[in-house]
Order: sequence, then C-alpha cells, then structure tokens
Amino acid sequence: MTLLSTAKEPALTPAPNRRTRFIAITMGIIGLFSVLVFGLGSVAGAHSSLTFNPVNLSSSAPWHVGTLTLATRWTNIGLGIVMVALGVEVFIRRPSRGVMARFGGVAIMFLIALLLWAGRTPGPSQVSFVNVTAILIGSSAVTMVLVFGSLSGVMCERSGVVNIAIEGQFIGGAFIGSMIASTTHSFVYAAVGGAVIGGLLGLLLAFLALRYQSDQIIVGVVLVTMIGSLSSYLNLQVFTPFPQFNTGNLAPNLAIPLLSKIPIVGPVFFNQSGFFYLMLVLVGVISFALFKTRYGLHVRAVGEHPQAAATVGINVVRVRYINVVLGGAIAGIGGVAFMASQGQFQPGYTSGLGYIALAAMIFGRWRPSGAVVASVIFGLSVYLSYILVSYQVPVSIYILQMIPYFITIAVVAGLIGRVRPPAADGLPYRHD
Amino acid sequence: MSEVVTTGHRASLWARWTSKSPIVVTFFALILGLLVGAIIIITTTPAVLDAWRAMFHSWGAPGHALKVTFDNVGAAYRTMFTGSVINPSSFGHSLTTGKGWSNTFTPISETLTYAAPLLIASIGVGIAFQTGIFNIGANGQAVLGGIAGAVVGSMLHMPTVLHLPLTLLAGIAGGMLAGSVPGLLKAFTGAHEVIVTIMWNYVMYAFLLFVVLSTPFQQPGQQNDISRTMDPSAQLAPLFGTSSGLRVNYGIFVAIAVVAFAWWFLERSSLGFDFRVTGANPSAAKASGINSRVVLILVFLVSGGLAGLAGIVQAASTTHFIDGGFLIGNAGIGFTAITVALLGRNKPIGIVWASLLFAALGVGGRAMQASTGIPLDLAAVIQSAIVLFVATPVLVKELFRLRAAPTSSLQLAAKGWGS
Repeated sequence: MTLLSTAKEPALTPAPNRRTRFIAITMGIIGLFSVLVFGLGSVAGAHSSLTFNPVNLSSSAPWHVGTLTLATRWTNIGLGIVMVALGVEVFIRRPSRGVMARFGGVAIMFLIALLLWAGRTPGPSQVSFVNVTAILIGSSAVTMVLVFGSLSGVMCERSGVVNIAIEGQFIGGAFIGSMIASTTHSFVYAAVGGAVIGGLLGLLLAFLALRYQSDQIIVGVVLVTMIGSLSSYLNLQVFTPFPQFNTGNLAPNLAIPLLSKIPIVGPVFFNQSGFFYLMLVLVGVISFALFKTRYGLHVRAVGEHPQAAATVGINVVRVRYINVVLGGAIAGIGGVAFMASQGQFQPGYTSGLGYIALAAMIFGRWRPSGAVVASVIFGLSVYLSYILVSYQVPVSIYILQMIPYFITIAVVAGLIGRVRPPAADGLPYRHD
Repeated sequence: MSEVVTTGHRASLWARWTSKSPIVVTFFALILGLLVGAIIIITTTPAVLDAWRAMFHSWGAPGHALKVTFDNVGAAYRTMFTGSVINPSSFGHSLTTGKGWSNTFTPISETLTYAAPLLIASIGVGIAFQTGIFNIGANGQAVLGGIAGAVVGSMLHMPTVLHLPLTLLAGIAGGMLAGSVPGLLKAFTGAHEVIVTIMWNYVMYAFLLFVVLSTPFQQPGQQNDISRTMDPSAQLAPLFGTSSGLRVNYGIFVAIAVVAFAWWFLERSSLGFDFRVTGANPSAAKASGINSRVVLILVFLVSGGLAGLAGIVQAASTTHFIDGGFLIGNAGIGFTAITVALLGRNKPIGIVWASLLFAALGVGGRAMQASTGIPLDLAAVIQSAIVLFVATPVLVKELFRLRAAPTSSLQLAAKGWGS
C-alpha cells in the first residue's frame, strides 16, 4: 500500500551474536591500526620514555621512580597483537559476559600505544617523555566530573526518569559555584550552592515530567538551552561588570597523610581536591544504596515496573521525585567540581560533558561502578585530545578534539554489546 | 471529556477565551515567558536592584522603585518590539515627511531575514518530531550545509542561474550527509538519536574550525578563521537591491517553498503519511508494513537536508562567508529551531508563526542589547521558557483556569535508550 512496504520487517536491533562479532571485528581493526601506524609507523630505533614523577611533587616526593624506556615499535606491535588476539577471542568464543571489559581494555591499550607513538624520541615531538602520572592526574579532573554526571544519570534513570538536563545542571552548578567560591572563598559553600541549584533544576524537571507528564527528553533539552542562555546572560550582566564574582578559584589539593606518599597511586588518588574524595564516597554510597538497601530495591522496582511497585505500596511518584532531585544535586556538585578544576566560569565551557556523562552511564550499564570505568576511558580520551597537541601529532587539533565525541557516539551506538536500560526508563507514569 | 465548555449565557468571549484551543495555551505561554524574562531583568539589573535597596532607607522609595522597575522592563520590551517590528515614531516621521522609509522598514526586514533560515530549519525539526524523532542535531547539520554551500558558492564560478541553485543544493547535501550519521546509527544499532546528534554537533563545530583554517577554503591572505567570500552569483540578493539598505532577501521565497513542500509532503504524499503514522503509533506502522528502518533514515535525510538548506540560506543571505563562530552556541538557528518546532506544534503553518515570533524575539533582543545593555541571551531564555510552558499545557491550563485539558501534540512517544 505504501511506498515503503516490505514483506518482512527486520528486527531493529541486531541479534547479540552479530553485535558481538561486530565488536570483535572493531577490536581487531583497532589492533591492526596500532600495529601498522603506531608500531610500524615509528622507526626501528625509536624509543619512548615513560616517567612517573609528578611534576609538582618531584622535589618533595619521598620517592623517585626511574624512567621506563621502551622500544616504541616493538611495544606497540606487541600491544596491537594483544588487541587483535582479544578480538579474535571474542569473535570465536563469543563470551556472554565481559565483552565490554575486553573492549575497555583494548581502548586503554590503544590510548597507551598512541601516547608511546606520539612521544617517541627520534620523532616530531619536542617533548621527549610521557609523564604517566601527570596524565593520570590531568585526566582525573575530567573523569571526576563525568562520574558526578553519570551518577546523577544512574540515580534518575534507575527510578525511570531520563535526566538529559545533566549538562544544564553542570552549567548551573559551575556558575553558582564560581560565584560562591569567589565571594566566600569556601568550596564547601560552593558545593552546597551547586547542589541546591542542581537539585532545583532536577525538581523542575521532575515537576514537569511527573506532575504534568511532559515529555522528559523535550523538557530536558529545553532546560539545557534555557540554562545555557541564562548563564551567558548572567555572565554578561553580572560577571562582566563585577569580575570579583568570578575570580576563578581552583580547589586546593588535600593530601591524605601517608597514603599520598605512595608512588604513582598517591598523587593520583590521595592528593586531590575534596571533590574527588566526595566523588569516591558517592560512588560507594550510591552503589550500596541502590543494590543493598530497601530503598534501592524500591527505586529499582519503580524504574523497572512502576505499576507493580505501586501495587505493593511503593509511592512511585515520591521515589522518582526524591531520586531526580538527588540526581540533580549530584550533577550540580559535578558542575562546581568542574569549575573548581578549570577556573573561572565561561559560557559553554562544559562543551557537552553532560551528554558524555550520560553516554558513560549507558556504557556502565546503569551501575555506579560501570559508570566509573566508563568515565575513566572517556576522561582519558578527553584529556588526551587536549594534550596531544603538545606532542605535535601530525593531525589537526580540531580533528583531535573530535575524538571524545566519536568515542561517545561509538559507545551509544552499542558497540559495547547489548545494554538494557531500566524497563520504565523515560515512560510517563500515571497514577490511576 | 465530561466538562462542557459553554453553559447558558456564559457562552461568551470568556468561555471561548478559556477554551482548550492550543492557540490560547500558546498565547498564555507567551505571556508567562515574557513574565519570566521580566523577573530575570528585575533581579539582575543593577539600577533596579539599587532602587529597591533604597526602599529600606526612605519612605518615598517604593514608588520610585516600582517606577524604575517598570522603566527598565518597559524599555527592554519596547526596544525589543521597535527593533524587530516597527518603530512608531520612525513610521510617523516617514508618513509625514515621506522620507526615511528604509529606516522604518529595517526592523521588519531584519526579522524576515532572520526568520527565513530559522523557518526552514524548524520545518525540518518539525517533520522529525512528527515522526517521533528528536533531531537535536539541526545545528550541526546546518553547519555542514553552510560549509558545503559556501565551498560551492565561493570556489566554483558560473552564472547565477546555475550557481545559486547549485549552492543551495550543496547545502542540502551537506545537511543530509550530517543527518545520515544519526539516522543510520539509529536504524542499524538503535543508538538514541539525542546523544548521537548532540555529539555530532560538537564534531561539526570542530570540523568547521578545521575547514575555515585550511588552505583551500580559508580566505586567502587571512590568518583568522574566516572562509572565502561567496560569489555574488551564489548569494541570495536583497529583494529591493543593495542600495535600499534592507537585507530582506530572496531567502524568504526559499522558505515559502519549503513550507509549501512540507505541507504537501506531510498532508498529501504517501511517504509523509508513513512518517506521520510512524510517529503517531510505531507498532501500528509496523503492522501496516512500513519499514521503520527506512523511515528512520529518510526522516534524518529530509530533516538534515532542510537544516543544511537553512545553514546555507543563512550564509548566502547575510554574511556571504562563514567563520569559526558560524551558528555556534545557544544562538545557533538549529537550537532555536527545536523550540520553534515545539511552539508551532510541528505543523507547517504553526511553525511559520512561531518562527516569525522567535525571529522577532532574536532580532529585538539584539536591538535591546544595543540600546539598554541587557544581553541578547535574554531572548533565548524567554524562548525556552515559552516552550517549557507550551510543553506542559496542563500547567498553563491550571494557572489560567482554562476549561478543558488542552489536547497536546507535544507528547511524543517517549522511549528509553535501548532502541
């Protein structure tokens, strides 16, 4: 009857087998690329030096890790072969679990190979070493913000509300955080302010989505537009005439005694700002709350089957309100954390991190721990896209900037195996 | 619907006024949006805040504070109107002296100039919405369309008869190319189009900076992120000639053609019917044998193509080149187009009015920024606020005691991330 009629309707999502094979082939291609470009692309005698002493601690650190020098070509060929081998293994065995973990491993090996290649010594780069610790510290700032965002997503979506306004909550948190930190010089107040703003935005989203059953994605997208324009309005109206409200404070590092002295691990994990520790605590608390407590059971029930949850006496709407507001508050704190690691507020400087956080949540299969792993990979790729410029990679800086977004698209496209969102995610609930 | 709108003698203007018509809801949403804007002006303008602070010091101050408030808000909205529609005093001057017509018509000409590409992009977004697809990537698609069109317009040389159509077609092709990525991904992997299109926007922005800084396309002799200028034969010429000083141009005819196409496509064509069925009820569409995968890809091609056309119309009618800031940020027409489509309830005629309104808000916002110093971004805040209210018609209904629940066409079939 119609132009597009077909006799047979193919399934929209391909069978898991096909997808697993596709992932396996992708892993193989990445591995081959590493062998050909990063391995054979460096001259035989080239070597790469890895250093581990943090830049700012080197004088006072009680330890000194020597430089690790690797033959670039052979290391990268080895890494590439391991990647191809993993791909072959996935292709043949098609394991039902752990495909994502293997792909994550391939992604990290690829980034390592890329770094080794970029920093090889008879090469174009002026920088003759790769400081592993500095890279981990640098990327941990982005990772931290992504974890806050994806935790917010986990909170909301586990209860069945799509919070696509994370980007808006980041912007709101960063704005108010900069204002409070500049006037009070307290990052605790700034974090509280960010949580309040994020929570209020979450409340607005929940109000429109739950009370009026508006489309959650429309409301979320419009909220982001609104907060984005409001922040650039306020930036011109308030921050430009009164720069003392936006001085750009960076949160100080709080070194944990003893632990921060551990080589490599210390500076990365135990000499961080308070936001970093708060993030670690939140990951644990939310994991525990979601999977080990009665309330978490309610939340997951509401997200999977609200009607059934309501039948056993759970107040679906209340659970969703609480979770969306808490999720918004977490994203708001994430915005403050971003501001506290990047400096003074500028309109649009979150550049889509909120959406990348959502992708990290999907990659992490709606679990806090998975979101952390995903955020580490995304954080590394975002940070590398910043710093590869200094290695004079023969690729335009603008092309490098695309990398994190491409990775996000690849992840959302389900390169990473089948993901199953909470069954009632994004669906309006009507209490009858 | 058990409630009866008209009862006895009260079947009056008020009853009709408070009916369930979406136009009424839109009107009240507009008022609420302007109210939100006023509140923002009041709470952020130093002069107004100072006046209110003075209230604590002297008795006469409340009156003064109110006056300052109304002066500031009034001035903002007045310049928004006179800067985008018509300035009565300038109009009167032209009427009595017969001079300065160009000055008088400049505001409305600017609004139409801005409305044309906005309308085109919004029609594209609206068609996608009608199919149940969120095309948040219209801005990126417009950017690639603008790049493709500007390349053809500036680096090929031929007579206008060929050059202009070819330039516009290149814009459409660029938009289709950018739109095909989320379309194909959604069709074959089930990737949710919202994240893919937003990420793709950022890829397009980076690509824009890359091309306007690369040798063949960069303006020769320039170090900045600015492209070659399009040939006059590829530009959309001003309707009244360049000497008139009015920028309103043949782009509005392109926009009118797009509206006519959209109306025919959605209401009369069988493909458009398939689109709408898919949007209204995906399972019914599947049952009736519509190939949802093909529909998905085609929707993104149509929607992206229109966004690309909007991008090149924007470039060919105003700046005649593109630079690194082309359509970037919240001011990009692709983002405004989302709100316009929602306000126009995804219907071509509704989108025409909505795009004129939002174009006027945008152009008026620029006039407001120039004369009162209130930043232009306020216009975008008002626009989003209006759309938030339109997207929650029940809220508007409750606020204004409207009678029956307005039927909402904004309620799309919300889906999770899986597919």
